[in-house]
Parts: sequence; C-alpha cells; structure tokens
Amino acid sequence: MCRCILGEISNMAAHNFLWSLTKNCFTFGLIGLTVSDRYASIVPVRGSSMSPTFNPTTDSFMGSLSDDHVLMEKFCLQKYKFSHGDVIVFCSPSNHKEKHVKRIIGLPGDWIGTPMTNDVVKVPNGHCWVEGDNPSSSLDSRSFGPIPLGLVKGRVTHILWPPQRVRHVERKNHQNRHSPS
Amino acid sequence: MSTYLIGQKTCMNCKTLNPQLPLQPCRCILGEISNMAAHNFLWSLTKNCFTFGLIGLTVSDRYASIVPVRGSSMSPTFNPTTDSFMGSLSDDHVLMEKFCLQKYKFSHGDVIVFCSPSNHKEKHVKRIIGLPGDWIGTPMTNDVVKVPNGHCWVEGDNPSSSLDSRSFGPIPLGLVKGRVTHILWPPQRVRHVERKNHQKRHSPS
Repeated sequence: MCRCILGEISNMAAHNFLWSLTKNCFTFGLIGLTVSDRYASIVPVRGSSMSPTFNPTTDSFMGSLSDDHVLMEKFCLQKYKFSHGDVIVFCSPSNHKEKHVKRIIGLPGDWIGTPMTNDVVKVPNGHCWVEGDNPSSSLDSRSFGPIPLGLVKGRVTHILWPPQRVRHVERKNHQNRHSPS
Repeated sequence: MSTYLIGQKTCMNCKTLNPQLPLQPCRCILGEISNMAAHNFLWSLTKNCFTFGLIGLTVSDRYASIVPVRGSSMSPTFNPTTDSFMGSLSDDHVLMEKFCLQKYKFSHGDVIVFCSPSNHKEKHVKRIIGLPGDWIGTPMTNDVVKVPNGHCWVEGDNPSSSLDSRSFGPIPLGLVKGRVTHILWPPQRVRHVERKNHQKRHSPS
C-alpha cells in the first residue's frame, strides 16, 4: 500500500480515538453531574457548630484543607423520611444562599423545650427543629425557630475527609429534649 | 486433496467452494459484515438515546422544566376556566426556569413555584408581592407585616380561592423552585407571563 494511504488510515484512527475519548468524557461528566444533583454529593463542613462530630479542632493554620468533607445523600428527599438525630444540610431561612449542617431534634408535632426562655414550642406541620452538637457556638432553631422541611437539601451519612476521621455519622437521640405529640 | 484449486476459490472462513472468489467476497463474509453493522448501529443508537436522555434530565433539573398548574388560585392568569370535564388535560402547563435560582434575583410581580411550608411534598404557584424588608398591609386583619430577611410574601391572583402568605405568612426564599415565564399549553393560551406590580400593597423599607 502506498505510504499516503497508511498515513490517512492512521490519521483517521487517531481522530476517531480522540473523538470517542471526548464523547466518553462528556458522557461520564454528565453522569457524574446527574448523580451529584440527584443522589449524593460531597460537601465541606465549615465552622465548629457541630463539634465534636465535625471539625473537632479549630485549625486556622491549614485553613479549609482541614475541614471535614462529608457525604450527603439525597435519597431521603424522595420519600422525606427523616428521623430524630439525623444530620441534615439545609438552606438557611434567613439567607437562602447559605447552607447549614445541623441535627434534627424535633419532627412535626413534637414539643421542644427551650431551657433558656423556659418556653415550650410545638413544631408545626411540615417543619423540623434543628440544633448543632456544640450548643455554645451554634446558630440554629433556638434562634430562627423551626425550619420548613422543604429547605432540606440532603442527609449526611459519612465523613470522607480527612482520612483518619473516615467513619459513619451516627444518629444521636436526645430523648430528654422532645416529647412526641 | 487440495482445497485450493485454481488460485484461491475456497473461502477461508466458511470453507465452501465459491468460484467467484477472489473477485467478489464470499456470502458468509457479507453476512457477517451486515450483522456487525446492524449491531454497531443498534449499539450507537442506544448510546445516543441514553446520552440525550441524560442531557434532557440535566436540563430539566438545572435550567428549565414544564409543570402543570392545578387549581384556580391564579385565575385568570392560569386556568381561567374550571373545566372538570376534561380533567388535567385542560390544565395550563407552564415553563418554569431555574436560572433565577443561581443568582436569586427575584422581582415584585414574579410568578414563582415553591414548596409549601406546611407540606413539603406539595408545590404551589403564586406571585411575589413582597421582598425582604417590605411592609405588607393585610386588609383583613388591619395588620402590617414586615417581610424578614431571606423571605418573601406571595399571593395568588384570585384572592378568594388562594391559600397563600395571608394564611401561612412569609416563606423562606430557599423554598423557591423556579420562576414561571411562559404558558406552553393549551396552544390557544401560549403567551409570556407578565410581571404585575401591586404598588399599593407594599412599601419598600
């Protein structure tokens, strides 16, 4: 065969290879995007409102590299089955551009006792009461009241980073804080 | 026993004598090539359908989707006639865009879709009457309510049959799922959805 034909065949093969590589990257990127939007994604946790569950040390030297990164699953949103003690990610009711990570203390119908004001609050339908594990430095339902369940973006199941803190995030029940309706 | 008579007249693949070899390919080779072509065609068709389905899903999740409007709380803007004969086929279907969610730029008079604060599984369509910092007058109770930060006051265009902020108060902007821009169905009602400002209802901070 003439060398020119061989050259054309190898050009076409390289071209086809690059084209199918591009298409595969695009498809896998799209699959990753869909999975991240609908099923599970990885989010960093900032601040110490959930110490010692997340970010047990305040390390300003390393900055955001030492923040815990957690796996947030969104399957819970399809059936909206939340339990007491679940750690959830939700949009802040006072600033919709921010997301917070807190633990569910009360579900619709529960009565929550607030020790500070000696008040008893009933969680309305479609709402939940959230608090951080570190009450002294946590902005939560004790400040902004119960939040609508429509603000919940996902449920935290595992810590994925840093490697020495990889573990499952447990539910913690605070039986003394809420009484069912 | 010589399998190769004059030249190569026996097909190497199916081992039958074919006097037309080597000028024309054997029928078995032609069959295999057409099988492979059909197989490749079906496989690439499947892959293309899958990719386009994925693209459609991503666009619907992130950018725009089509939602049916139920009920008459937004008459006459949506569903101006209550037609129980046709059922859900006569409901208005509207285009809901989600670009507004990335910058959260809402204006007075926008029609939005949001999760109900009392039942997170339901979605409602109402118009934004007040934004954070506005003072809303409620004629019925003679109250004046200030819309808190990060919230908005929504009402339906048909006040007599609308469950809105007059009942459940201002809603957090985090509940908003999208903004309605056009009616797409039924065909005779295809139009752009206008902003309607109710200047007398709100006063800025």
